[in-house]
Amino acid sequence: MVRTRTTARTAAVPITALAVATALTLSACGGGTTASAEAAPVDTDRDIELSLVWWGDDDRASRYEEAVTLFEEKYPNIDVQTQFQAWDDYWTARSTEAAGQTLPDVFQMDLAYIHQYASNNQLLDLSSQMGVNLETGEYDETLLGSGSVNGGQYGIPTSTNTLGMIHHDDLLDELGMEPPKEGLTWDEYDAWIREVSEAGADQDPKVYGGTDYTGTLWLFIQWLLQQGKTAFAEDGTPAFEKSDLVAWVERTQPLRDEGAFYPVERTKQVEPLTGLQVNEAVTELTWDNMTAGYAANAGSDNVSLLPVPTGAEGSQQFWKPSMLLSSSATTQEPDAAAALIDFLVNDPEVGKIFGTSKGVPAVPGQKDAMEVAEGSVDDTIVTYEEDVAERVTADTPIPVEGYGVVEVEFKRLGEELAYGNINAEEFADQWFQSAESNLGGQ
Amino acid sequence: MSATTTERGGPAGSGVRGTATSSSPARGGAGKPSHSRADTRAGYAFLSPWLLGFGLLTAGPMLMSLYLAFTDYNLFRAPEFVGIENFTALFADTRFLKSAQVTAIYVFIGVPVKLASALAVALLLNAKHRGQGAYRSMFYAPSLIGASVSVAIVWRAMFIDDGVADQVQQFFGLPGGGWVGNPDMTMPMMILLAVWQFGAPMVIFLAGLKQIPAELHEAAAVDGAGPVRRFVSVTVPMLSPVLFFNLLLETIGAFQVFSSAFIISGGTGGPADSTLFYTFYLYIKGFTEFRMGYASAMAWVLVLVVGIITAVLFRTSRAWVHYTGDVR
Repeated sequence: MVRTRTTARTAAVPITALAVATALTLSACGGGTTASAEAAPVDTDRDIELSLVWWGDDDRASRYEEAVTLFEEKYPNIDVQTQFQAWDDYWTARSTEAAGQTLPDVFQMDLAYIHQYASNNQLLDLSSQMGVNLETGEYDETLLGSGSVNGGQYGIPTSTNTLGMIHHDDLLDELGMEPPKEGLTWDEYDAWIREVSEAGADQDPKVYGGTDYTGTLWLFIQWLLQQGKTAFAEDGTPAFEKSDLVAWVERTQPLRDEGAFYPVERTKQVEPLTGLQVNEAVTELTWDNMTAGYAANAGSDNVSLLPVPTGAEGSQQFWKPSMLLSSSATTQEPDAAAALIDFLVNDPEVGKIFGTSKGVPAVPGQKDAMEVAEGSVDDTIVTYEEDVAERVTADTPIPVEGYGVVEVEFKRLGEELAYGNINAEEFADQWFQSAESNLGGQ
Repeated sequence: MSATTTERGGPAGSGVRGTATSSSPARGGAGKPSHSRADTRAGYAFLSPWLLGFGLLTAGPMLMSLYLAFTDYNLFRAPEFVGIENFTALFADTRFLKSAQVTAIYVFIGVPVKLASALAVALLLNAKHRGQGAYRSMFYAPSLIGASVSVAIVWRAMFIDDGVADQVQQFFGLPGGGWVGNPDMTMPMMILLAVWQFGAPMVIFLAGLKQIPAELHEAAAVDGAGPVRRFVSVTVPMLSPVLFFNLLLETIGAFQVFSSAFIISGGTGGPADSTLFYTFYLYIKGFTEFRMGYASAMAWVLVLVVGIITAVLFRTSRAWVHYTGDVR
């Protein structure tokens, strides 16, 4: 017996040492490293491998593959490894990589997350690359500014979009109804939804006038701006009152009670598609660049765009970079990564490949290169952005740290609301609770 | 690990031993032949790949997470010690309580139903029929593919509007509608998916059934016991160690359900948090909200709860589990 105990004790020493070593290794991971800052023209005489990751569907994937092929032709020594996920999985995968310091060399970034990633030192500051491997001369200042956090350029916007109302005219024709008029107020829009849902009730499957938009944080922000208020304060905390949120939730309650909105039970079942994409809802408020995908899934080109409903202060629409491209702070190839971003945002051929599928290209060179056939969905989007420009009177709301988390919470509460599990007060209480622990970099 | 290498590389004798335990000279007179010591060392040497893996991949991270449970850690910045704040916050978190409730329902209903079906199928497959081997393989098949992503996707498709389940309901004149979008029906759907994967406990039951001596049944039959009586008084007691083993394994497994819920709900735990399983909420906290400290605290609460339930099961097992032959 005595001997066994001794053996166990001697064996315990290396095990303890190992555990300590592991703990140390793990904690070292949290330290964060930055890539060498000196930017130099990208090497052309040695083999370089880059990773490129985006969120999106198959359609986007084939467009990226095409663009990457062109890039590899231009830089024969660079091999680009691609990967993509759907939106939700995308952020899960990226946060896991961030923890392990293995973020891709180049990846799509969203306004909702850039603050979080940048202020936690996960992203490469591209300012030193600007003018070396990355040309940003053609950019609109404010638009480029949406990719800057605390004075560093952590993301390059690829394209712009703005909120809009997508309407499915084939469905309206079947119901014998006219598309909504331009410049509706929110109340008029709600009344219109009600009218269409009544008319569509005897169809099989039933057709609804619109989808419940209450759980979309961006739409709430749009509505706030139209009330002459702002969403977030300088310190990244909410700049509106609980009563504002309660008012927003309550104003759509009658439509939920009457069943005028596309039902949440169906919404959950058709996910990741939406009511409009399965030809069961006539309108949806969302980003204008979604139109192309919506039209493709609905199997109809007869899908067009109108501005969002208006409030007391008019339209107050704003441009939002539909997505940005960022590079990891830990990339071994900052020069090549910057060159890839440059190629994706500036090359006219790439502009032609993507069309408006990511939004209208941010750089005029790409926008002009697009071959827009008259009456096509691309044409619808480009025309919409030109028409709506006069309605764009608000600055892009500043991305705040933790926005992505509270946006998800907003959507979840919208769902609980639709199932009738919570009321407007509880919606506001729970959201503010989440905002308190997630916003403002706490 | 240099210690292990030295031990392994040295001659199987006391020389190495002397350096390793110079602090305990009194031990030298213990008097047992040295080859048993060598055996011990060889044992550890052979164990070392596992030990390494255990230390690096299990024990180390577990210790780390125990530490993190007492910190505020967002993956990017250095952890900040906050004492038991995470644990107190847990019990004020309505979604946490909801996730605990969802998981409890799943465990306490799903596991008994699953074990009952596994036992029922095992009894069927224990009878002597032609082609019984083929049936056994067929009934086991769902478990081989059950945990896969594709099955969860198919499962989802079966329970939407006009899916298989909906059509069956309509055929019997029951109220229609898919289950996926109905928060009241997602739990039955998840439990059905678990029950359908009865293969592993079934195989173990089958092995247990095979070990019940036929003469016990014969003796009971001679004494006039019917099939039900024989099942209750012979099969169940004789099978109780296996039943206990399965119960333990399935309970612990059920607490950890994750991937099927993740896929069926599209990564949200919805609709309306009706499939927000404990591990799923833990994952949301850790990997979408970046609150690793909180997630670690949740993980340790789970370890504690599973530990307590296991202990209770062991304690009660003395009353209902019968081990034939020898005392425990």
